[in-house]
Amino acid sequence: MKKMMALTLMLFSFTSFAKEINVKVSGMVCSMCAQGIQKKFSAISEVKSLDVNLDKKIVNIFTHDDKDLEDATITKLITEAGYNVASIERK
Amino acid sequence: MKILSIFLFIVSAGAYAHPVIYQGGWALSSSNMPDYSNNYLMYSPSNRYSVGIDHWRFSQEAANTEAALLKINHLLWRDNGENHQANIYLHGGGGVVDQEWGSPGTHGMYMLGLEADWETRRLYTAIKHYEFHAPGKLDMFTTQARVGFSPYEADFKSLQTWFMLQGMIIDEVQEKVMITPMVRFFYNNVLWEMGSSTRGDWMLNLMVHL
Repeated sequence: MKKMMALTLMLFSFTSFAKEINVKVSGMVCSMCAQGIQKKFSAISEVKSLDVNLDKKIVNIFTHDDKDLEDATITKLITEAGYNVASIERK
Repeated sequence: MKILSIFLFIVSAGAYAHPVIYQGGWALSSSNMPDYSNNYLMYSPSNRYSVGIDHWRFSQEAANTEAALLKINHLLWRDNGENHQANIYLHGGGGVVDQEWGSPGTHGMYMLGLEADWETRRLYTAIKHYEFHAPGKLDMFTTQARVGFSPYEADFKSLQTWFMLQGMIIDEVQEKVMITPMVRFFYNNVLWEMGSSTRGDWMLNLMVHL
């Protein structure tokens, strides 16, 4: 039993999950202009993929396993793309 | 030569989009009508400034006035609202103008401009005014205004369609405001526009974010 538990704990310690960060963005009304957001985040090694939802004005950032992006980094990149961050939420 | 002509035609379709884009972004833009063309390549070192090279042509019957400039665009003010964005830009540049009317010859010149826009996903308005001066040789301006609507809200990776109306006056070239209904499309990083003025002049514009 102890062996099983130890094995399970060991497996969990090696298992990692991609993080999803939802960023609410102000001013995102033009799909061509929002391409800048994709360009800025695609250049960051921690970012695995990105979805832009113009209806909800949300940018979903998916990071590589065990990687995270600081709020300050997200805010800097969104600002450099020409927009403002309204909120940041992690799932 | 044919390839060069084709290239110049493709890039000489200048568009009416933001003159300052995301930090590190390049844009190639061009506008073309029979009496007027504007082509530029610009780079935005920050989301507040862009620098670029700019070419303008104004035609008065068979005579052209052409200007080549180094230009700086400054995003003076931006309002990023929940469902809208509004911008005010300042433009300035210097270079040379080659005139075939007024005071013919090649002269040093400068330009100044002011531009404002307000847009949502369904509505668009913009106005811009440019002045071109070569002291003692040239003083002219162009003013353009646009209103438009999109019949639907396109997703991020979908084709967006706009119907627009442009009013434009070019001092020394046109006596009346030229009204041009047009259709604008954009898809990913490419914007293109096609229109025909009420007096029958065609218009073709293109912008690419590189």
